[in-house]
Parts: sequence; C-alpha cells; structure tokens
Amino acid sequence: MTSIRKRIRRIGAVVAGAALIASLGAGCAAAGGSAGGSTLVAYTGQSGDYQLNFNPFSPSSIGGVGTIYEPLFYQNKATVSDPVPLLGTEQSWNADGTVLTIGLRSGVTWSDGAPFTADDVVFTFDMLKKTPAINSGGFDGTAAKVDDTHVTITFAAPSFVKGPDVLSTVIVPAHLWQSIDPTQDVVAQPVGTGAYTLGEFKPQGYTFVANPTYWGGAPAVKSIRYVALSGNQAGVDGVTAQTIDWYTGAIPDVQNASQKYPGYTAFTQWQNQMVLATCSSVALGCSGPQTDPAVRHALYYAIDREQLNRLAFQDTAGDISPTFALTPSQDSFASAKVEEKVAPGQAEPAKAASALEAAGWAKGADGIYAKDGQRLSLTVEVVTGWTDYITAIDTMASQAKAAGIELVAAQSSWNEWTEKKGSGDFQLAIDALWQGPAPDPYYVYRYFYDSKTGAPVGQKAGNNFARYSNPEVDAAIAALAALPLDDAAARQPHFDVIQAAIAQDMPYIPVLTGGTTSIWNTREFTGWPTQDDLYAFPAVWSQLDAAQVLKQITPQG
Amino acid sequence: MSYFLRKLGFYLMALWAALTLNFAIPRLLPGNPVDILVAKLQQRGGSVSPDAREAYAALLGGDTDEPLWSQYVHYLGNLLHGDLGVSVSYYPASVTEVIGTSMPWTIVLVGLSTVIAAGLGVLLGAIVGWKPGTWLDSLVPATTLLSAVPYFWLALLLVYVFATVLHWFPVQGGYDLALTPGWDPEFIASAVRYGFLPALTIVLASVGGWLLGMRNMMVSTLSEDYVLTAQAKGLAPRTVLRSYAARNAALPSIAGFAISLGFVVSGSVITEQVFSYPGIGSRLLGAVSNNDYALMQGLFLYITLAVLGANLVVDLLYGFIDPRTRARS
Repeated sequence: MTSIRKRIRRIGAVVAGAALIASLGAGCAAAGGSAGGSTLVAYTGQSGDYQLNFNPFSPSSIGGVGTIYEPLFYQNKATVSDPVPLLGTEQSWNADGTVLTIGLRSGVTWSDGAPFTADDVVFTFDMLKKTPAINSGGFDGTAAKVDDTHVTITFAAPSFVKGPDVLSTVIVPAHLWQSIDPTQDVVAQPVGTGAYTLGEFKPQGYTFVANPTYWGGAPAVKSIRYVALSGNQAGVDGVTAQTIDWYTGAIPDVQNASQKYPGYTAFTQWQNQMVLATCSSVALGCSGPQTDPAVRHALYYAIDREQLNRLAFQDTAGDISPTFALTPSQDSFASAKVEEKVAPGQAEPAKAASALEAAGWAKGADGIYAKDGQRLSLTVEVVTGWTDYITAIDTMASQAKAAGIELVAAQSSWNEWTEKKGSGDFQLAIDALWQGPAPDPYYVYRYFYDSKTGAPVGQKAGNNFARYSNPEVDAAIAALAALPLDDAAARQPHFDVIQAAIAQDMPYIPVLTGGTTSIWNTREFTGWPTQDDLYAFPAVWSQLDAAQVLKQITPQG
Repeated sequence: MSYFLRKLGFYLMALWAALTLNFAIPRLLPGNPVDILVAKLQQRGGSVSPDAREAYAALLGGDTDEPLWSQYVHYLGNLLHGDLGVSVSYYPASVTEVIGTSMPWTIVLVGLSTVIAAGLGVLLGAIVGWKPGTWLDSLVPATTLLSAVPYFWLALLLVYVFATVLHWFPVQGGYDLALTPGWDPEFIASAVRYGFLPALTIVLASVGGWLLGMRNMMVSTLSEDYVLTAQAKGLAPRTVLRSYAARNAALPSIAGFAISLGFVVSGSVITEQVFSYPGIGSRLLGAVSNNDYALMQGLFLYITLAVLGANLVVDLLYGFIDPRTRARS
C-alpha cells in the first residue's frame, strides 16, 4: 500500500511540478545575508547538477566563455556601438570585404604562463574550420599569420556581416589544444587568457577565481561561484534568502523589487521580439486563415499591447517596431518608408475590421469573421508551463474576440512545440525572435526572413519556421552581406526594401519586445550596468556579456 | 528447488520485457535530440546553419537512419557490456558517469528516509495495534493526514517554517558549497544539516502508510489462536507482543519495504525540485525534456533492475521466512 502511494507520488511529481513552481515563491521572507565577502554567487538557470565541461565549443559547455576564454573583441548588443578590443586591438576589412585584418594585443599570457601569439588565433580558426561538429558559427574563412601581432582572415566572397561572429569567437591555446580532440574533450583544467581561472568544480557548483596575471589587471571581484539549483523558482528563492547575488529570469513582483528584495536592484533590457509566428506560405504548404496577410494585419491591430503588457508581463515588456529593428536602441536602422515606427499600444478594431473586410471576410452571426464557410479561428501553439505566454494568449484571445477573430491556445511539451514549428504543423505559435552577434537588425532578417532557412511544410525548417519566402527580401539580405556594417548610406536602401516587405507581409506578427530582467546585489557590489552606462547586455547566462560585467563591478567596502 | 528456478525464470522474462519497453518508450516521444539541441543553441543566441545541424547529428548520433531492429540489437549488445552510451544533454559524458554523480545523493537521502519511515511506522503500528481502541489509535488519523496532504505542500510548509522563518535549516542544496565533498566530519555534518529537512518531509509523508498497515495486521493477528495460546501459557505481554504478534504481523510490511527500497533509486522528483537537492530525480526530468534517450534508458534500466532485484529478494526471502508460500512445491 505504501509503495503504491509512493509510486503515485512520483507520477504526480511531474503533474504537480507546475503547481509547485507556481506556489513555491509564495511564502518566503528575507533572511540574513550569507553570500557575503568578495565572492559573487551567480545562478545562470542551470537546472540540476553540473556535468564537468569547460570546452567552450561544446554544446553542453557549462561556462568559462568570456571569463576564462576571451574573444578578440566584445560586441555590446545592448546599444549600437563599436566592438570593444580584448585580445584584438584593431580590426579592418579590405574594400571588397574578403580580407579581415586583426591586430593582436602583445604581452598577453595564458594562465599557464605561456605567451599568447598570433599562432593561437590561427590555430583556433583552423580547428573550427576543420571540425564542423564544433563550428556552430559556420566559420568558412582562412586564417593566416602576418607577424606576431597581426592575422588576416580571408573569405571567398564579401563577408562583412561575418565579422562579428569571427571577432566574438573565443581563442584557445594552441600548445594545449593541438593534442586534444575538440569534440570529445571536456577540458577539465581550462587554460585561457581571461580575467578568471577555474577554482574548483563540484557538480553542485563551481568557482572561478581572479587571474592575477590578467593583461587588464586582476578583476576586483576575487571569486565567483556558480551554483546549480532546481530551476528559476529556486533562483528567486535564493535571491530572497540573499544567498544569490546575480540572477536573470522571471522575478515575482518585479515592480516593487527594491522593497521585496532589500539590497537588490532589478534591471530590465529588451532584446527578444515576441511574435505570433504564422505558418505563412501557401506555396510551401501552409494552410489555414493565417496564410491571408489581411488576417495577420487584423491580428496586429486587434492586440491591446498596453493591457497585454500589464496582464501577462508585469509591465516589463517594451515596444516593438513592425520593422523588427529593436526599438529604441536600433531606431537609426528603421526605414522612413514604414509609417508606423512602433506597433500601436491600444487595439484599433476599426483598422482590423477594414483589413479583413477588404480581403472578403464577413462577420458571421457569432461575431466571428468568416470567408467561404471558413470561420476565422486560429490555434496558437504554446509550451506547457510558459505561464507568461499562456496568459498572453488568453489576453490576446479576448482582445481578438472583440475584433471578430477567435484564438485558441494549444499547449504542448517543449519537444512537441519545437517539432511542430520545425515541420510547419501549426497555424500560429507564440515565440520570440533573437538577436545576432552584433547590434544590427541584419541578423534578425537573415535568421528569420531568408527563404534559405525555411523549408516546405513536412520538412525541417531552420530559423525561418514561418516559411516566409520573398525573392526581393532574399536579394536585399544577400546584398547587405557584401556591404560594410558601418556604411549606413549604402545599406539603408536594402533595409528599406526588407522592412517595407516584412511590415506588409507580416509573417511574424509583432507583439511586444520581451524584457530580460536581472536582479543583482547592489549592497555588496557596485558598478553594475545602468540605463546611462549600458556597457553590456546584463544577463548572467549571456556569457560574453556577463564576463564584461564581472570585470567591471567591485565589492563594496 | 524448483520454486526458486521458477522464480528466476519469471524474473528473466520480466527483465527482458522491461529492457524492450525501455528501448521502445523513449523513441515514441516527439522530437529528437538534435532538434532539441539546435533549438537550445538558437535560444542561447547562436545561429545554426544546416551544416551545423548535420554536424551535431554526426556528433550525437541521435538523428540516425539506422533501422530500429539493428538499433535494438546494438542496444542489447551494449547492455551486456555495461555500456549505456553517451548522454546527449551532457555530451560527451557517458550515461554511467552522469548517473554515478547523482546516485549516491539519492540513495542516501531517499534510502535512509525510507528505512526510517518503515522502521518507525512498523514500530508505532505494533504498539498502536497492541491496544486497539485506546487513545493511541489517534496516531492513525494524525499520520495518515500527513500522508494525505499533497507532498509538495507539506514540503513547502516545512521549508517556510524551519528554513525561512526559523532559519534552523538551509533552504536549498545538498551541502555547504564552500566545503569539498569527502569523508571529513565537517562535510558530513553539513550534508546532514542540508539533508535533514528533505528527509523529514519524506518520513512524515510516508510513515502513516506503514503505521496503518502494521496496526491493522496487528489487530487481526491478535485474534489468532497462537496469540491466545501464548497468553494462556502465561508469557509476559511484552514477549507475546514481540515474538508472537508483531513478528507475524510484520510479514506484509517486509514485502512492502523491499519493494519501496527498489523505488529508492528512482529518487524523488518533487523532493529534489523543492530543495534543489542533487539526485537522480532532476536528472530524469532533464533527460525527458532534452530527449536524451541514452540517459533516460540508463535511468530506467537502473530503476527496473532495482525494483526487479528487490522483488526477487523478497520472493526468495519469503520462501525462507514464511514456508506457506512454498506450499505448491
């Protein structure tokens, strides 16, 4: 009898998990500080124990990118800005964008004492090219040493836009890596040039300690401990108990964070553009009302974004531009030809109705539009447990109903949801578009709107799971690849073409720009990013950004 | 002897069936590990080209065109060598390695709490059953109430009272991370302090079942003739309780205990979630959400073997301690 109940308890575990996560935060009060000292405790969202892996190229790497291993330059995605020199000091392209010349910092040593040279850089890029299994950035150039402090990277075609990926590639020491298998080795003793070295590793957490011989001077925060917890809720509990100093993720009652979490400051940045992605292309096999652009426009106007932000996102989300240039940080890229700079904050039912009626839809007796006997009812795919998105869909469903559109949420597991998006077996899916390696909207367009990353329904699509296919947009994306990133005048006409087309066709219906909220201990550490000094995108799980922050902050007192 | 052979034969069949199900079930889940990995990398901000997808497929071997029957033969062959494969979500660590780091935590925490709960429950049950109808009987509804409260709720209440308000115990974790795991007294003291609250919740939640079962068996055993005989012989009540009544009444509890020992290795997903306790449960949860077939199979295999093993031991033991079960042979 006991064993039966125990079994039920374990089956119930999975079911109860969601309820548990929802309720765990309820009863917690502030506790005495125990993080203390100059050790910063960070929680990156690791759920369950760590498995040792400090190979920066491994998909299951647990850390060390930016902190132990440094790239040539740091690209701050939070603001439109120039790359920050790290191991590189200068970088320039030749006129046709096929040769990138990089000047290297001299006098840098690896943490085992060996000098850092141009050979290490050439070795790293050669290794990536030779080993497709770790070449996730798709590096296809050829690196060559010019002298001890200069390397060139040569591409077969104009490749300005590949610059940011190349410059943010972390460099590993040739003298150690030439004898290991980069796909299999977990690099238990990582050696890098960065501001930190590995202290000790335990499955429940590992520490980084300051590198006394760091070329930029040893960082002020002498040690960092990364802990493994059961999930984000446990992260919030750790902040409440003041055992965690830096956490990025959903935070209950974030508007009153300074009272609820004394000594901590919450900070939000906007990078992920939340969308209702549509299976948009009839030619590629999509079916359903959402294949009609008029329906997509009607939905766009039916959403009351202010209400949605309040109800589903605790007012942490930001505006979104139908051009998909991040607003406000990338407003300089937005086309003058797109009239609406920002998606409307309030619902505009009149515009929704006129869009639908112009396309031949007529309101039925139940208040929902219909055309050729087909009701305007759409299913939105969402992942079970993504409570903010589920609330968002519920809110949008009631807003859309007022505009004569029916939205129905369909919850499924993350695996199943990914499968549906990939194979095109969906009508609408709530998701977010992510940014590229540099603060430049080009990457969003290439990732999500280029027909090369789409696929017919039934086949696996890449990032362009909306299956958007527009030859003009494809041509403009290709043309942009051959233009220097800083040549705004030459690039803008192509941006105009893309932005006009995607605002018109709207394969991804803009919802809001999702906020990434971090909470950090300001009582014990100062120098965190602020709105005025946004020197990095401050998410603890965004490793290259987090490394910049860790070098910048200092312990108090 | 044929009783034991028959049992062994039955367990071999059960093992084969379990291994086959273990092979089939993960493959019926939607999605495949390469897609999940690619989707994860994309969410982390990487741009994944079609070449990279192929590369990962080659690296992880999940997206395979190998026919199912040949995967099955491979799977059985590897199991014979004790090779459980490579975990996709913790690549390139092997499944044995991943399970090895979590298993001790689970076995100690869940194992000890199961032993304590069963021991305590049987002991209290024997005492309560010895004097049915007295005030002691109120222990039954009290402990079953604790079992009936949803486990996570009980755990949260205890966390709130003892960790958040009173600060007697830490809120989460397996030990003080400043210490290095080892057999030194400081670390063991820390592990005990961190493990106390999770263990207490497990004991509280399960002791009621043991108590109730034992108490009811005691009551029915007390009306047996041999108990009456023992009392008529003028034996001390304590001796009757220990050597005549409790000994016979404990038989079903022993069976239940062995079976729940088998379930110890599956860990306790909720306990580990509430207390961020290291262990098998969270590995299992992670393996399922990452479509990590090899890790899932490895974990299921351990659980299956433990449950089958525990049952086998009970069956064999029963043959000795209760000769009636051998009657047919």
